[in-house]
Amino acid sequence: MKASRGRILKGIAGIAALLLAWQVSVPLVGLEPYLYPSPLRVWAAFVDLMQKGILPVYLVDSLGRYAAGTACGVVLGVGLGILIGIDATASRILGPFISFMFAIVEVAWIPIFVIWWGYGLKTILMVIAYVSFFPVLYNTIVGMRTVPAAMVNAARSLGAGRLEVLTEVMIPAALPNIITGFRVGSGFAFRGMIFAEIIAAKTGVGYLIFEGATNQQTDRTMVGMFVIGLTWLFIDHVYVKPVEQVTIERWRTVTRADERE
Amino acid sequence: MMHGLHFGRRLRNGALGAIPFAVVAVAWLLLPHVVQYPPYMMPSPAQIWLRMNELLADGTLQHNLLTSMLRLLGGFVIGVGLALAAGIPIALNRNAADTFKPMLTFLQSIAGIAWVPLAIIWFGIGNGAVVFVIANTIFFSLLNNAVVGIQQIPNVLHRAVRSHGAIGRDVLFSLILPGALVQVTLGMRTAMAYGWRALVAGEMVGGTNGLGYMIIEAVQFFHTDTIVLGMLIVGILWLLMDRLLFHTLETLTVVRWGMLKRE
Repeated sequence: MKASRGRILKGIAGIAALLLAWQVSVPLVGLEPYLYPSPLRVWAAFVDLMQKGILPVYLVDSLGRYAAGTACGVVLGVGLGILIGIDATASRILGPFISFMFAIVEVAWIPIFVIWWGYGLKTILMVIAYVSFFPVLYNTIVGMRTVPAAMVNAARSLGAGRLEVLTEVMIPAALPNIITGFRVGSGFAFRGMIFAEIIAAKTGVGYLIFEGATNQQTDRTMVGMFVIGLTWLFIDHVYVKPVEQVTIERWRTVTRADERE
Repeated sequence: MMHGLHFGRRLRNGALGAIPFAVVAVAWLLLPHVVQYPPYMMPSPAQIWLRMNELLADGTLQHNLLTSMLRLLGGFVIGVGLALAAGIPIALNRNAADTFKPMLTFLQSIAGIAWVPLAIIWFGIGNGAVVFVIANTIFFSLLNNAVVGIQQIPNVLHRAVRSHGAIGRDVLFSLILPGALVQVTLGMRTAMAYGWRALVAGEMVGGTNGLGYMIIEAVQFFHTDTIVLGMLIVGILWLLMDRLLFHTLETLTVVRWGMLKRE
């Protein structure tokens, strides 16, 4: 307990020292504020953005897009993954194609989405859904395909029908993989959303950092970056990790999130 | 005999895997005859082929590809180097770890792409901004791996190396760096997946050439054939890098050492 308090204090001291060094270095470096704004200036920009109500609106917009986009991607990915994963031949046929589609990274889809649907919500949602869909789909199929045959046979010999085998054996056994796909997808989706907002939005935290840079309001850009960092920590701890935790407790194993194969 | 069987199965799987590509190609060819849409929305495969030959003939495509790959390489080398350099003090010194880890966790969560606007302010549009964003992405993705890799070196190895008279530099080069590299290799495919996106995104917003710039520039002129060509190249290049380069690297190192099991 004492040791962990010491660690927390050191961590806070580290961050405080960084902020202090940043603040002190500003007059020493003597660069224009738009190149190197001080932390106090960034704080002032934050207060300004809050008072004008800009930041809360942008944040709510981004979170809404993220939730809607990942929900579509994950639901479709799990659903299709289960359907394809049931059949060995189907997964063999579709495997390479899915890999190729995921290899065309979401960032590269943004321009053609813009041609098809213009700058706006539809393009952003599609980007988020796209990049959360493929890792979930891929990992769901892998999970379904790697269920030990002995488990399926055991359930069958105990009289389980096809549907029961699916819901009682295969899907639970595939869950660790599904969660892995979910974690990978949610990380890529967050970054994909930031970039989609840079290119195709008029609100949101991605738009904020780009607009700030275009207008040489670097303090606003930095506010945006802090908000992005905090938002991802929030999403990761409140939304992604609990899901993983529940599955670990229930099924004890989760493959590492950064292993895609 | 066994070998032949194995080869036959692989051939069959390959043929099966080609089916969806063939279906999509046929659907793509038939699409204009079934649905009416302006040609700029979706070019035909033939148009894309023509555009590719055009871009190859005037050297634009080669130039953009080379530029992008050099940027990726530069950012990658800088990112890996910095991750190793920063990983060592954090892994070996508890005070350093306690002090820097929370800060680094936070910086890590600022997604690489979110640095693009600031990178443009600092370095201007061009190589500097793009390489900075890639290096930044790779660094934060691999730092944890470097730290964990060094911390996982068994104490007995430390003692063994030292009892053979190794000091300072020897310990660093024959024990700590190899130890860090094992985990760094494990994290490389993920890091490169993010780095690849950072490259394309960085070039779209902060480049004057390169693959990403080629794609985004085409949007203004509705050159959809260039856009789709660029997308296909992005996909193929990534698969080549991931499957041939990094998969092979994994097989030669961490899989062979028994640190990573593949299904």
